Amino acid sequence: MTTTESVRTLSLTEIGPAERGTRPDEVVIALSPAFGDPFTKTIVDVPHAEVIRQLLAGIEERGGSARVIKVYKTADLAAIAHFGAKLSGSGIAVGVLSRGTTVLHQRDLARLSNLELFPQAPLLDAEVFRMIGANAAQYAQGQSPRPVPTRNDQMARPRWQAKAALLHLKEFDCIDKDRNAVEVEPVITKVD
Amino acid sequence: MTTANTDLTAADYPLSVNRPDLLHTPTGKTLDDLTMDAVVAGDITAEDLRISPDTLKLQGQLAAAAGRRQLADNFTRASEMTAIPDAEVLDMYNSLRPNASSAAQLEELASRLENTYSATTCAALVREAAQVYAARNLLAEEA
Amino acid sequence: MTAVEPRSDSTVRTSKRTEILEARPVNLDGFVEEWPEKGLVAMESDFDPQPSVRVEDGRIVELDGRTRDQFDFMDTFIADHAIDVDTCEAAMATESVEIARMIVDPRTSRADVVALGRGLTPAKILDVVKLMNVVEIMMGIQKTRSRRTPANQAHSTSAKDNPIQVAADAAEGAVRGFAELETTLGVVRYAPLVAIGLQVGGQVGRGGTLTQCALEEATELDLGMRGITAYAETISIYGTESVFVDGDDTPWSKAFLASAYASRGIKMRFTSGTGSEVQMGNAEGRSMLYLEIRCILMAKGAGVQGLQNGSISCIGVPGAVPGGIRAVAAENLVASWMDLECASGNDQSFSHSPMRRTSRLLPQMLPGTDFVCSGYSAVPNKDNMFAGSNLETDDYDDWNVIQRDMQVDGGLRHVREDVILQVRNKAARAMQALFAELDLPAITDEEVEAATYANSSDDYPDRDVLADLEGARSVMDRGITGIDLVRVLERAGFGDVAENYLKVLRQRVSGDLLQTAAVLDAGFVPRAAINDANDYAGPGTGYRLTGERWEELKKLRHVTSAENPEEEVV
Repeated sequence: MTTTESVRTLSLTEIGPAERGTRPDEVVIALSPAFGDPFTKTIVDVPHAEVIRQLLAGIEERGGSARVIKVYKTADLAAIAHFGAKLSGSGIAVGVLSRGTTVLHQRDLARLSNLELFPQAPLLDAEVFRMIGANAAQYAQGQSPRPVPTRNDQMARPRWQAKAALLHLKEFDCIDKDRNAVEVEPVITKVD
Repeated sequence: MTTANTDLTAADYPLSVNRPDLLHTPTGKTLDDLTMDAVVAGDITAEDLRISPDTLKLQGQLAAAAGRRQLADNFTRASEMTAIPDAEVLDMYNSLRPNASSAAQLEELASRLENTYSATTCAALVREAAQVYAARNLLAEEA
Repeated sequence: MTAVEPRSDSTVRTSKRTEILEARPVNLDGFVEEWPEKGLVAMESDFDPQPSVRVEDGRIVELDGRTRDQFDFMDTFIADHAIDVDTCEAAMATESVEIARMIVDPRTSRADVVALGRGLTPAKILDVVKLMNVVEIMMGIQKTRSRRTPANQAHSTSAKDNPIQVAADAAEGAVRGFAELETTLGVVRYAPLVAIGLQVGGQVGRGGTLTQCALEEATELDLGMRGITAYAETISIYGTESVFVDGDDTPWSKAFLASAYASRGIKMRFTSGTGSEVQMGNAEGRSMLYLEIRCILMAKGAGVQGLQNGSISCIGVPGAVPGGIRAVAAENLVASWMDLECASGNDQSFSHSPMRRTSRLLPQMLPGTDFVCSGYSAVPNKDNMFAGSNLETDDYDDWNVIQRDMQVDGGLRHVREDVILQVRNKAARAMQALFAELDLPAITDEEVEAATYANSSDDYPDRDVLADLEGARSVMDRGITGIDLVRVLERAGFGDVAENYLKVLRQRVSGDLLQTAAVLDAGFVPRAAINDANDYAGPGTGYRLTGERWEELKKLRHVTSAENPEEEVV
C-alpha cells in the first residue's frame, strides 16, 4: 500500500491526435479510457500521478524518451498496448489500465503476445512501475533487459478479484467507440 | 467374438467386471489378454489399450438405460471417431473453433467425416454448427 | 467503492473492540456492492429473463422470452440438445414452488426430479432454486448428486515443477483417500515428467486413483491418448456467447472435443462457474447463477458426463457479493439435478478467514458431492500451481476432525505416520528407478530421502531444470506411453505399482470410466452413477457413514484410549 503524505494529482492535457512518432528511442505510454479521468488511482490506491511519474522516471534514467497517449475505443489491455506500440518510434509501448494492470508490448508481436505482462494489479507499486519504465527504455534501445521480477500472492483473489471486476466494468463504461486516441501532456501537481 | 445386439441393463455395469465377454480391443484382444506377462514380453502396445467402437456402443446402451440420452449420443459420436487418427481429431476440433473455418470448409469437414469415416452423427453436428456459425457471424472469410 | 482497508485515519478515535475487529483476517477479504445491470449480482436480479418455452413441430421455438430468430448460440444449443422437447411444456407448467418442494421432499424420488428437470429452461431452473435457502439447497444436493458414495479430488503440484515432489505428495494424497489427483505446471514443458510423477505416485499410494494434468487442450489430450494421464477436466465453457467466443470455442467445438475424449476411452468433464462472465466484462446484464445454469445445460446437451463447477477460479467474485456463496451451492445443486457428475469447487484460495473458509465448504461437505473439492491442495498452498486452494495440507487434521464430529464422509482419512513415510519413500524410489531405466536425469538418494520427509518444495534439493526439460522433451519425442512406463516399473522391481498402473490403463478398453461419476475403488471396481447410484430417500436411506468406514474415520492423530487413559489410540 502506498500512502503518500503529500498527494500528487494528475491532469492529462490533450495536445492533439495520437500520431506515429519518429524518435528511435521513444517509448509510448498508452493509457486506458478511464485513466486519470474519472479514475485517479489504481486498485491498491497508487495515484495515477505516481504511476506516470515513476514510468517516466524509469524511462528517463535509462536514457529513453517518452510520449503519453490516451485510448478511448477499447479497454482491452493488449489492444491498447499494441496500438501504442504501433505509434511508437521504437515500436515499444507500455500499456496501463486504470486499475494498474500493465503490459510491455512491441509492434511486431502478435496482439495477444507481449514482452512482459504484469497481470496482478494489486502487486504493482511505485517501485515496480519505475522498473517497468526502465525496462521499456532498454527494449526501445534494442537491449534485452532482465525481466522485472514477478510477484505472486495466493490471497490476491479473495481480496481483490471482485473489485477488479467492478473496476473493469466501470472502465468498459468509459469506452467511446467514436473517439480517436489523443496524445496528452501529463501535468503532475503536488498538493500538500 | 460376441457383440450382442441385446440391450444391456444397469446390472451389466461395470462391463469390465460383469461382461468381460463382450469386450475386445480394436486389435482383437480380450481384457484377459492384457496381462503383465504380455506387457513384459512386448506383446502389448498402446494400440491394444484403446477402446473399440463396439464397446462405446455398449456403453451407449448403458447410458440410455440410465435415462442419459445426451451421454448416449456422445458415445455414438465417439464410436464413430475411433476410426479417426489422433492428429486429425485435433485438427477437426480446431476447425470447429469460432471464425476458424468458412462455410465451405465446414461442409468439406462434414463430407470427410461422412465419406471417409462413416461418421454420420459427427457430420450432422458439424453441419449444424455451420448453420449456427453463419447466423451468428462466426465463419471465417471465404478463402 | 470497497472498504477493505483497515481505516488508517488516526485522527478519529475508535474503540479498542473496533481495533480488534479491524485486525481480523476476514477484513482483508474484498466485498463489493451489487451492480445488477452489469451482472455483478449472485442470483436475484430484475434483469434475468422470465421463464418461457414454446414448441412447434417438435422443435423449441421460444426459450425464456426469446424467439428462435433472437437466439444466441447458447439458446440454440440448449434448445436443440439439452431440453427434452416432449416433456418441456408440461414441466414448465409446473409451479416453481412445487418443483422446489419436490427437490427437498424425500418422498419424491431422485428419478422423478431428474426427469422433470429434463424439460426445464435456464430461467425456470433459476426460478426454482431462488426459492430455496441454503439448507434446502444442501437437502437437494444430498438427494440429487449422482453417485451414492461421496469422493474427493486433490491438487498435487510443485512450485519448482519437481516431479519427485509431485510423486511423493500424490502417493500421500492417494493413501489419505483422494479418488482423483490433478496437477499442472509452472513451466509447461515440464508436463510429461510431472504427469508421470503424478501417475506413479498415485498408484503407489492406493491403486486405482485417477490422474490428470491441466494443460491447453492439445497437450492435455495428447498425454491422455498416451496413457500417461487417465482423465481430463479443464475444458472450460461459459454462459454468454461473447465470452465463449473470447475463449476461442463454441458449444459445438466443445461437444466435438467431448466425443474425442470418449473415443479414446478417456474420462472427461467440463469446467464452468459463477462469476467468469462478469469477470471478463461480458455478462450481458444477467446474474451469475443464470449464466452458470446455461453452462450446466450446455454441458448436459453436449453429452459430457460431468462438470466441475462452484465458481472455481472466479470464487472471489461471487464471494464478494451478497448471497454469493448460496449461489455457488445452488450451482452445484443444479449440476447434480441435471444428472451430471459434480466436482464441486472448494478448490481455490477463498478467504483470509479460517472461519469463512470452513463455512464456504459446508454446503458441499455436509450433503456430500461426487467430489467435495475439485482440488484439495495435497501440497502446501505455496506449492499450489492452481494459485492456491480453499483447503491445503495444513488442514488435513481439521478435515478429519470435522468428518468425525459430523459423522460425514469427506473422502479422506487419518493415516499413520509410518504408512505415509513408507508410501512417500516408495513413490520416490519408483521414480528413481523409472528415471534410471528411461535414461532421464538421475534422481539421487538424497532426493528420495528428502521426498520421504518433506513438506514443501523448499525441502528438496534443486534439480537441473534444463536437463529435466531436455528429458521431458525426449519422453515426448520417443513416443513413450503408459504401457512403456508399466513395463519399466515391472522390470525395475516395482511390480505392484506396475500392476496397479496396468489395471488403470485396462479400464480404457472397457469404457467403464466414461459413465457418469465413475471412479475406481481400491479393488479396481468402477463405481459410477449406475452401480453406485444415489438412492437417498430420506432419513435412514442413501449413503450413511457406518461400519468399517466409520471405524476408520473415528481415528485421529490424537485420541485418548478408553481402555488406558494414559495412552492414545494408535
